[in-house]
Amino acid sequence: MKKCLAGLILIFSFVTNIRGQNSNICLLKVTPVFGSTNLTLGKQYFFHNQKDSVAFEMVKYYISGIQLLLNSEIVWKDTSGFYLLDAENEKSYSIPLKIPENLIFNEINFLSGIDSTTNVSGAFGGDLDPTNGMYWTWQNGYINGKFEGKSNLCKSMDSSFELHLGGYQFPYNALQSVQLKLTSKKIIEVHLELEHFINNIDIAEKHHIMSPSNEAVLMSKAFSNSFKIAQ
Amino acid sequence: MKRKYTLIFLLLQVIVSAFIAIEKPSFYIPQNWPKPVYNFKRNPINTDVVTLGRVLFYDPLLSKDNSISCASCHSNYNAFTHVDHKLSHGIGDSIGTRNSPALMNLAWSSTFMWDGAINHLDMQALAPITHPGEMGESFTNVAEKLKKSKLYPTLFKTAFQDSIISGERTLKALSQFMLTLISANSKYDSVMNKQALFTEQENNGYRLFKKSCASCHQEPLFTSYAFKNNGLSVDPDLNDYGRMRITKLSKDSLKFKVPTLRNLTYSFPYMHDGRFKKLSEVMNHYVSGVQKSKTLSSELAEPIHLNDNEKVDIIAFLLTLSDKQFVFNPQFAFPKEILLKAAND
Repeated sequence: MKKCLAGLILIFSFVTNIRGQNSNICLLKVTPVFGSTNLTLGKQYFFHNQKDSVAFEMVKYYISGIQLLLNSEIVWKDTSGFYLLDAENEKSYSIPLKIPENLIFNEINFLSGIDSTTNVSGAFGGDLDPTNGMYWTWQNGYINGKFEGKSNLCKSMDSSFELHLGGYQFPYNALQSVQLKLTSKKIIEVHLELEHFINNIDIAEKHHIMSPSNEAVLMSKAFSNSFKIAQ
Repeated sequence: MKRKYTLIFLLLQVIVSAFIAIEKPSFYIPQNWPKPVYNFKRNPINTDVVTLGRVLFYDPLLSKDNSISCASCHSNYNAFTHVDHKLSHGIGDSIGTRNSPALMNLAWSSTFMWDGAINHLDMQALAPITHPGEMGESFTNVAEKLKKSKLYPTLFKTAFQDSIISGERTLKALSQFMLTLISANSKYDSVMNKQALFTEQENNGYRLFKKSCASCHQEPLFTSYAFKNNGLSVDPDLNDYGRMRITKLSKDSLKFKVPTLRNLTYSFPYMHDGRFKKLSEVMNHYVSGVQKSKTLSSELAEPIHLNDNEKVDIIAFLLTLSDKQFVFNPQFAFPKEILLKAAND
């Protein structure tokens, strides 16, 4: 009898848990796009009236500190932490947010990178594990975003660019905040508009950024300004 | 009678177990030392994790061609540095640009490397492992090699209760071993703990040391962990401007971290580029070799006046910082019982 009761309680709590989770999930989906199409790594994209082209070989970046707001007031904060979004793994684009049922909000904020406290707190696992290749080893700190590929615009020897954007210390703190007004609340669909990013950096001259610097900060601003609500 | 023997046997077993427990390396704070800066809450010391860290530290598997381990440049017999080598060595006989630092008392340090490039002990090992002139391996590949090995899944399971091998665990295990490298058993320590006495010469050296050297090499760790320009000329081949490379600030030009003076006997040559082989050369530098520049340490703005006898007395005192127990501690040595056995299996 006792065993039966325990079994029933277990099944009940399992069902409640499942139902609870389903009803409280809001999906944040952040997709890298070029123009009107989702990004495909290695594909050549033409722009500037077909005069210029770019092909990305790597688009990999962190977002963290997700918050939902209602009329500029924070109504929910993500406690799970840090997400590594990688164009090689489409599954990484979707971030389930466990929010209270019936939460009303009309804005989302997040950071495009990793905060300074985490940067000085030693080794972490999961998306922050240094084996993910997003940690500078010769001088410490997370790389907030890696963008690599080729473009005819680059004045490098093989037209390549490698933009490793990061830095957590003054005066080269590259961490940026993103604020977006929302229309839908079931699924928050955000695009990382890479054409906007390329058009707002000096990729012709600054094609290789591998350490914290003023250029890295400027590019990080262009990167964070390239997040837009999907239309 | 049989019962009596059983009791004696059990008693002996308890004594032996207790002895083994005492002998195991662990972290402790020596008497009258400050609080460590390392955050143990995020990486609590566990003897099985320490053992894993020790095996990793001595395993050349961490380098690209499996030829070099951490211990290659940080040998226990040399206070965990590479004695008699000016600059660090790496795979394929490559030579680095700086003298490998002696490793000890690392829980009290908040930055690592001569220029403070590394902000946390956990992340320190990443630099030599991935540097092309040192171990030259990608950290992702290190984790893959550990996963494929016969040895490590078991060691990780013993240490962390499951055999998941991650970068975080690897780095934290290395940290734990390095945290146990505490050197606090020199003659100096015995004198401070009132268990020994300095000779007259050592005592005079200690008095002079406190007057001329201790503002940067502060007791009991014999460093302030500050970055200072100690008046060395720039080596034209190395062109090393120290901390400025990290901060990109001209005020940090030619500044390097003040090293500890503990175990100097075992850790020559000296300075960030290993330019001085002997302590007498170091003394001569501070007395008559300091180069003036904008960023020169204020402690060296006025010349240090020491005659030859006084220099010798300071050196006599510095030699009391040698810690034989630390250097020859079998708990810190190559873990032959694990690595040799694994190689033979």
